[in-house]
Amino acid sequence: MTMNLFNQFLSPTFLGLPLIAIALMAPCLLYPSPAPWWQSNRWMTLQNWFIGSFIKQIFSPINTKGHSWALLLATLMVFLITLNTLGLLPYTFTPTTQLSLNMAFAVPLWLATVIMGFRNSPTHALGHLLPEGTPTPLVPILIIIESISLLIRPLALGVRLTANLTAGHLLIQLVSSAAFSLLLSQTTAASLAVGLLLLLTILEIAVAMIQAYVFVLLLSLYLQENV
Amino acid sequence: MPQLNPAPWFLILVFSWLIFLALMPPKILTHQFPHEPSTLTAHKPKANSWTWAWQ
Repeated sequence: MTMNLFNQFLSPTFLGLPLIAIALMAPCLLYPSPAPWWQSNRWMTLQNWFIGSFIKQIFSPINTKGHSWALLLATLMVFLITLNTLGLLPYTFTPTTQLSLNMAFAVPLWLATVIMGFRNSPTHALGHLLPEGTPTPLVPILIIIESISLLIRPLALGVRLTANLTAGHLLIQLVSSAAFSLLLSQTTAASLAVGLLLLLTILEIAVAMIQAYVFVLLLSLYLQENV
Repeated sequence: MPQLNPAPWFLILVFSWLIFLALMPPKILTHQFPHEPSTLTAHKPKANSWTWAWQ
C-alpha cells in the first residue's frame, strides 16, 4: 500500500525520455518578458510589482555589497513558487518533491554564501561560531554545536522543501482516494472527506508559496551573515 | 522512496541549473523599476529608482 502511494513521486519518463525536463521548463514558458514600453498590461504590471516588492523585502536588511545577489534570489523565488503551485494541479508533476533538485539548489547556494564569508572577512565568519557572552567552560562545546548547525543548513534547506511538498501531495492523494472509494458505499463519509480535501488543497496552496519564500529568505539570511 | 533513487540525480541537477541560469534570468532582468513620477510643483524629485546591481 505504501509503495503505491509513493509512486506519484517517481521521476516520470516516457519512452526513456525524462519528463521532469518539461516540468522544469514550465516557469520559463509561463512568464512572457516585459516589453520596453512604459505602459504594460496587467499581467506585466503584476509581475513587476511582485518582483519589485519581493526584492525590497528581502534586500532591505542586506548591505549594498550583497545586492548583486538580487537577480539570483529573485529568479529562484519565481522558479520555486511557480513549480510548487503548478504541482497542485491534477496530474502534474512537482519537480520540487525531488530531493535531488532541492539539494542541487540548497548546497551550492549555501556553500557560495559560506565561501564568500570566509574569503571577504574570515575572522568575522569564524566569529559566527561563538555567540557573544558565552561562559568560558561552554566555549569548546558551543563551537562544535554551532559548526554542526552551520553544516546542517543546506541539508535542512533541501529536506524542508522536499518534505513539506511531498507530505502535502501524499495527504491529498490519501484523502482523495479515500473519498473516491467511499463514494458509493458511505456517501456521508465521502462528502466529509471531500470537505477535508478542499481545506487541504487551500492549505497546500499556502504551503507551496510559503515554502518557496522560506527557502529564499533563509538563503538571504545566510547571505546577510556573510556579507 | 523513489526520490532517493540516485539514477536521475545528476541529470536533474544539471538540467535544473541550466534552466535556472540560462533561461530564467533574462526574463527577470528585463523588469525595470523606474522611480515614480513627481508632481509639477515639486522642486526636488525624489528619484529612488533601483536597478539590477551591475546595470
